[in-house]
Amino acid sequence: MRSSHFVPAQWLPKANWKTAGLLVPSLLLCSAVSAAPRRQEQHFKVAAHPVITIHNPNGLITVKAWTKAEVMVISTPASDRIEVDAEQMGNRVDVSTRELSDSVAPDDMRADFQINVPEDAELQIHNDAGNVSVANVLGDMNVETVAAGVDLEDAAGYLSVKTVGGSFTCMRCAGRIEASSISGNFRLLDLRSYHVWAQTSSGNILFTGQFLPNGTYSLKNYSGVIELRFSPGDSFDLSATSLKGKVNNEAKLTPSPHQRHFMPRWGNALFGTFNEGRAKIEMTSFDGTINILKRD
Amino acid sequence: MATITCREFLNYLEPWMEGERPPDAQAHVRTCLHCSGVIKDLEMIQSEARSWSAAERDAPERVWTSLRAQLEREGLIRETIPASEGRAHGVTKDAALRAGWFAGLFPRLPRPVLAGAYLAALVAVAFALSGPVNKRVNEARWLKGTQISTSPLSAQLNFAEQDSNSYVSRSNPVVAASLHQNLAIVDNYIALCEKSVTEEPQNEVARDYLYEAYQQKADLLTQMTERGENVQ
Repeated sequence: MRSSHFVPAQWLPKANWKTAGLLVPSLLLCSAVSAAPRRQEQHFKVAAHPVITIHNPNGLITVKAWTKAEVMVISTPASDRIEVDAEQMGNRVDVSTRELSDSVAPDDMRADFQINVPEDAELQIHNDAGNVSVANVLGDMNVETVAAGVDLEDAAGYLSVKTVGGSFTCMRCAGRIEASSISGNFRLLDLRSYHVWAQTSSGNILFTGQFLPNGTYSLKNYSGVIELRFSPGDSFDLSATSLKGKVNNEAKLTPSPHQRHFMPRWGNALFGTFNEGRAKIEMTSFDGTINILKRD
Repeated sequence: MATITCREFLNYLEPWMEGERPPDAQAHVRTCLHCSGVIKDLEMIQSEARSWSAAERDAPERVWTSLRAQLEREGLIRETIPASEGRAHGVTKDAALRAGWFAGLFPRLPRPVLAGAYLAALVAVAFALSGPVNKRVNEARWLKGTQISTSPLSAQLNFAEQDSNSYVSRSNPVVAASLHQNLAIVDNYIALCEKSVTEEPQNEVARDYLYEAYQQKADLLTQMTERGENVQ
């Protein structure tokens, strides 16, 4: 508390104002330093394909790849009632936030992280609130949040993201992507993935990217909008069904030579092939709108 | 006669189970051990499902007995209601046992992960009871089948919800608010799907969405319980 370090002027000898002028700011500074978040930086040497796990209840987690064979963890806890543990077990680095006493207010249970990892690192991140941002990491990734948003950029490998209400953005991602949420919006932009499975209940889903030969792309929600953007050179078999909502399509589809579709008795459905039908796209909604639109 | 490939035969599976058997598909089944095995399995499942929905209002005892035995083996449940207690309330021993372990399971679960396993088992039973898609079954039987499979699930999820609410109230307000808000969303979808299934009992898409919504609710309640457990 700043007030506890403040020295009333009447307590000082009248002739000593110069001393007081130096003392008071010093005490205020000490007070500010003791209340400031304790930033901590730790380094861990690792071999190829290290595993990094992060368990944090609330905060901003930023993970970036670098060329060094080490993991750097910079943590900033929001209060002195919690602390960050980072320890290495072989080729695995575990980072977690823990409370130092039994009665820590929920607002104090917050820590921010800036973490650098080798690009082949595997990540397992649990962060209930705040945000998770990962860039240029090519190893497998498992991210679970409640309210925290998740942003992945230039990631690859097997990417598994599960949120309750947090949004998910995946930009220029490759590999295999599986994402689920209840109310989070998904933005899957400029993907180069061979397998995408995305399911959100009330959120919207936007997909732009390449449809790789033999790739499978499944987008599903209850309500909200599912929007897929395609280019003239794309090649896919498409199935789009909305039980209670609309299906809007700008693609010139021909009957599929690959498989026989049974027109469902309920809802609005669209089946067909675009160019050679090399990839397989399945879009399903309960009462949401499905848009299949040309890319600008 | 030119026969078709296994991959092509997959397109004939649904009509085959409906009774449509084109000559090329028949020729394939005669020569392909794998596909004839698949057909035998599907016919067995279909016949079992028919016997369930035709003969019994509730799931067969063997389902509950087997599930109960499995959960006991895994240490997820430990005790049962004594038979005398059941008789005192004018119910049969089996019914008392089933109601006892079924209704009293949650308070005894030592850890939230076990609650998750239990909810997952319930959802699995609901799926098993829903039976395979058969368009010829009349609507009343469809509706009844769906209700039989979802009623115990719905009741147990509501029971679990009360527990989870008390757990999650101890966690971060932002997280708690998000969990509650999303639980309301899932409840709303369950209501919408149930309405849809009631209006169109044979609509398998609506039924799939309904089961998925229940699965989501089970997952969410497990998360809520875990979050509460972590801040204790």
